[in-house]
Amino acid sequence: MTLVIAEQRGGVLNPATWETLAAAQQMNAPVTAAVVGARVQDTAAELAAADVAEVLAVEHEALEPYTPDGFVAALAQVVEATGPERVLFPHTYQTRDHAPALAARLGRVLIPDCIGSKDRDGQRVFVRPMFQGKFVADVLPEGPAPHFASFQIGAYRADACVRGAAAATVREVAVQLDAAAIRQRPEAPFKEAKQAVDLTQAERIVAVGRGIKGQEHLPLAQELAKVLDAELAASRPICDSGWLPMDRQIGSSGQTVAPKLYLAVGISGAIQHLVGMKGARTIVAVNKDADAPIFEVADYGIVGDLFEVVPAIVAALDGD
Amino acid sequence: MERETLDVDVLVVGGGPAGLAAAYRLARLNAEQGGEPLMVAVLEKARAAGAHMLSGAVLDPSALTDLMPDWKSRGAPLDVPVRDDRIYFLTARRALPFPVTPPPLRNHGHYVVSLNRLAKWLAEQVEAAGVDVFTGFAGTELLYEGDRVVGVRTGDRGLDRHGERKGTFEPGVDIRARVTVLADGVRGNLTKTLIRRFGLDAGRSPQSYAIGIKELWDVDPDRLPAGSVIHTMGHPLRHEEFGGGFIYALPEGRLSVGFVAGLDYRDPLFDPHVAFQRFKRHPLVSNLLAGGQMVRYGAKALPEGGWHALPRCHADGALIAGDAAGFLNSMRLKGIHLAMRSGMHAADAAFRAVREGDVSGARLSEYARLVEEGPIRRELYPVRNVHQSFAGGLLAGLLYSGMSLVTGGWWFRDPMPSHAGHERTRTVKRYFGGGVPPEPPGVPIDRALTFDRLTNVHYSGTRHDEDQPSHLLVADTDICRTRCIEEYANPCTRFCPANVYEIVDADAGAGKRLQINASNCVHCKTCDIMDPYQIIDWVPPEGGGGPSYEGM
Ligand SMILES: Cc1cc2nc3c(=O)[nH]c(=O)nc-3n(C[C@H](O)[C@H](O)[C@H](O)COP(=O)(O)OP(=O)(O)OC[C@H]3O[C@@H](n4cnc5c(N)ncnc54)[C@H](O)[C@@H]3O)c2cc1C
Ligand SMILES: Cc1cc2nc3c(=O)[nH]c(=O)nc-3n(C[C@H](O)[C@H](O)[C@H](O)COP(=O)(O)OP(=O)(O)OC[C@H]3O[C@@H](n4cnc5c(N)ncnc54)[C@H](O)[C@@H]3O)c2cc1C
Ligand code: SF4
Repeated sequence: MTLVIAEQRGGVLNPATWETLAAAQQMNAPVTAAVVGARVQDTAAELAAADVAEVLAVEHEALEPYTPDGFVAALAQVVEATGPERVLFPHTYQTRDHAPALAARLGRVLIPDCIGSKDRDGQRVFVRPMFQGKFVADVLPEGPAPHFASFQIGAYRADACVRGAAAATVREVAVQLDAAAIRQRPEAPFKEAKQAVDLTQAERIVAVGRGIKGQEHLPLAQELAKVLDAELAASRPICDSGWLPMDRQIGSSGQTVAPKLYLAVGISGAIQHLVGMKGARTIVAVNKDADAPIFEVADYGIVGDLFEVVPAIVAALDGD
Repeated sequence: MERETLDVDVLVVGGGPAGLAAAYRLARLNAEQGGEPLMVAVLEKARAAGAHMLSGAVLDPSALTDLMPDWKSRGAPLDVPVRDDRIYFLTARRALPFPVTPPPLRNHGHYVVSLNRLAKWLAEQVEAAGVDVFTGFAGTELLYEGDRVVGVRTGDRGLDRHGERKGTFEPGVDIRARVTVLADGVRGNLTKTLIRRFGLDAGRSPQSYAIGIKELWDVDPDRLPAGSVIHTMGHPLRHEEFGGGFIYALPEGRLSVGFVAGLDYRDPLFDPHVAFQRFKRHPLVSNLLAGGQMVRYGAKALPEGGWHALPRCHADGALIAGDAAGFLNSMRLKGIHLAMRSGMHAADAAFRAVREGDVSGARLSEYARLVEEGPIRRELYPVRNVHQSFAGGLLAGLLYSGMSLVTGGWWFRDPMPSHAGHERTRTVKRYFGGGVPPEPPGVPIDRALTFDRLTNVHYSGTRHDEDQPSHLLVADTDICRTRCIEEYANPCTRFCPANVYEIVDADAGAGKRLQINASNCVHCKTCDIMDPYQIIDWVPPEGGGGPSYEGM
C-alpha cells in the first residue's frame, strides 16, 4: 500500500497533494491518503473524490497549529498502524520541515524532491534531479519499508489524479499526543513587512558614491534626497560596506533605473554603474574630478567638493 | 552535515582542453574495449562549457587529430589555417621585422581558433559520447582516504557574505571517484593542494608563470587577412622583462590582440595592464585597431617553467594534466595541444588502472611513462631552459633560444637555476636604490583604444553573486597596510587585472586598508602566484560565477 500524506492548512487542501496522489496511482499498489490536523473532515471528504482505497482523517487538537513535533508524532503512529510499503509527500515547505525528522524517527530512508518513479524488476525506483537539474538520478531505496519520498511540485499534473467512481471511505484514526512534548510554540504567521523601496518607480534619485568618504557623512546625502523628495541610492562600494542596504545599489549587479532626475554625488561613473542609470532623463553629477567619466553622461555637471556643493544645494532648495 | 554523494569511476576536474580530451578519450576507450563502461564525469566551474577559456589561439592540431581523427566532419571550429607568420621587435616607435621566423615559431599547418568555441564544441562531443559534464560546479577540496585521493567535494551554494546560510543554501556534493584527473588549469586550486600535501614538486625547478591579457576587436576586414599571425618582442617591456604581444586574425575582421608578461619582473611598480595598453598604442597595433571596436576582454595566467618545473603528476588515485601540471611550450606560446595530449595520456593510464582494480600511484605512473616516451617530452625537453634563460634578460634569452636549436637545449648548467617569480620582485627601496620611487607609469585612457581596468572587466562578462563569502582569502590583511605598502607599494593593485584589490582609506581616518572586490575577479590566478608574501589564496567562488569569455 502507498500512503500519501495530504497537506492542508486551515481546512484548505494544498493542490500539490493531487499531484502526489497522481504519482502514487501510477505505482501499481493500492493508495491510501491521510490528512492531518485538528478539523480535517471536510478536506478528507474532498480527498475521497480521488480513486483511492480509503482516506484517513487524523485528528487531534494538538495538531493545530502546525508544529513539526506534533506532525512527526502523529504521522509516526499512522505509519506504524497502517504499515505501508511507502509514504509519499508533496515536496512543500511543511514537508521539508517534518518529513526528514519523521524518517529519522522511524529509521527509514527519505528520498526528497523526486520528479518520477519507475518499476525496475519489481522494485520501486525514484527519479530525482541532482546538480541543479543537470543530471537525473535513479535512486533505489535501501533498508526496510516503508520508504519515504517527496515529490517536486509540478512534476506531476494535478488533473492526472484519477477520480474514483464513487467517493472513497473516510476513516478516522485516533492518535495519542502529549501536548507538553511539543517543543515548538508557533506564533501567528506573519508577512514580512518589506519596506517598499522600489527604486525603479522613483521619479527622482539621489545616488551617493565613495566620494562621501564615511558613513558618518551619509546624512548629508539623506538631507539632499529629502529636500528633493527623492529616493536615496548608491554605488557599489557604499552598499558593499553596508552603509546602505544592497537593494539600493544602482548598476550592473544592482538595480537599473530610469528616473526623471538622477543626481550622482561623489560617483566616478564606472561603466558598471552607468549601465544602471544612463536611461535617466536628466543626470546631474557632483564630483571634484573634472575628468570623472560620470561627466560624459551628465546633462549638468558640477565640478567641486561635494561637502561644499551639497549643503549649498540643500540650502537653496530649502529656501523655497 | 549530510551530503549527497555520487560515485563515478573517473572524475575529471576542469572542462578545458586537457579535461575534455581526457573525458573524450575515456569514452572512446569505453566504446572500443567493450565490457562494463566506466562512469566518467567532468566538473567545470564555469556556468557554460568554455566560458572560462581564454587563449590566443594558434592551435597545433596534432593532438586533436589523434584524439578524434574525424574532427573535420564533426564540425570542429578550426576554420582558419595560419597563412602568414611574422615576428617583430618593437622599439617605442618602430617595428623591426625578424628576417626569418625561427622554425619553432613557425605555424604552418596550424589554425587560428577561439578556444572558447573549441571547448564548447568539444564539450558537446564529450556529452554525446556519454560523459556527464557538470558545468557550474567547482571542486573545492579533494577527498582522501588515508593518502589516497577518492574524489572531490564541490562548493556549497547559497552562503551569504558572512558565511551564513541563505534561503537558497545547498551543501556541496561529494563526488567519489576511483581516479580523479585534475585538469583545473594554471595554478589549479585542487592541484595546488595536492602538490603541497605530497611535495610533488620536490627536486623540481619552481614553476614560473606569466599573465596574458587579451582583447577581441572588430575592425575593418581589410586590415589584416584572416589567418595572419603576428608576434612581438620588446616595447613596452624593458630588457629585464619577459614577454611579448600577439595579434591573430580571425575571419570577418575579428582580431585577437594580447599581451603576455612574465610574472617574474623585478620592478615592484610594473603593471601588466598598463603594459598592454602601451602595446596597443604602438603604431604597429594602433594602426590595425584604429576605428575598430573592442568587444571582449579577459586575462589569465599561464605556466612557463617548462620541462624542469613539471611536478610529479601522479599520486594514489589522482593524475594532473594540462596547464595544472605545466605542460606548456612557452617558446611557442602553445599549450592547448599539450594539454590535450596529457589529458589523453592521463585517460589511458586511468582507464587501465580502473580496469585492473589498482589505482595506486605506482600503477598510475604509467602516465609519466607515456609523457616521457611520447610527443610531450619530444617537444618540451629541447626547450627546457629557454624561459629560464630569459631571466638573464631579453638578449641572453634570444641568444640562448637560438643556441638551443643547435645544442638540443643543452646549457652549461642544466637545469638552469631559476626562482619562483614572486621572489624576484624587489622592494621599492632596493629597486629604486633608496631614491624616491617614481609615480607608477601611467597611460592615457581614451576608452577607444585604451581602457581602464574597470571598463575592461565589464567586457569580460564577469558575474558573481555579490552576497557570498570572498573567494580571495588573504591570510593577514595587516601586512597590506603595514609592511607591503612600504616595501612593495601594494603590487596587488597593479598585477590584478580586474581591480579586485584596492587600498582605500580606513574608516575614521585610521590609515589605509585593503578592499577586496571579489566579484570583479576574472579567475586569472595572478594574485595567488605573484603576491610577494604568498598570503593570497584563490579558492573557487560559488559555481557558475566568473567571466564569460564568449568568442575568446
Ligand atoms: C562585475 C562588476 C559589477 C559591478 N557592479 C556594480 C554596480 O552594480 N553598481 C556600482 O555602482 N558599481 C558596480 N561595480 C563597481 C564599479 O566598477 C566601480 O568600482 C564603482 O561604481 C565605483 O563607485 P564610486 O563611483 O562610488 O567610487 P569611486 O570610483 O572611488 O569614485 C569616487 C568618486 O568620488 C569623487 N570624490 C571624492 N571625493 C570627493 C569630494 N569631496 N567631492 C566630490 N567628489 C569627490 C572622486 O573624484 C571619484 O570620482 C561593479 C564592478 C564589477 C567588476
Ligand atoms: C593569453 C594566452 C594566450 C595563449 N595562446 C595560446 C596559443 O596561441 N596556442 C596554444 O596552444 N596555447 C595558448 N595558450 C595556452 C593555452 O590556452 C593553455 O595551455 C590551455 O588552455 C590549457 O588547457 P587546460 O585544459 O590545461 O587548462 P584551462 O584551459 O585553463 O582549463 C581549465 C578549466 O578548469 C576549470 N576549473 C579550474 N578550477 C576548477 C575547479 N576547482 N573546479 C571546476 N573547474 C575548474 C576552469 O574553469 C577551466 O575551464 C595561451 C594562453 C594564454 C593565457
Ligand atoms: S583577484 Fe586574483 S585571480 Fe582574480 S582577477 Fe585579480 S589577480 Fe586574477
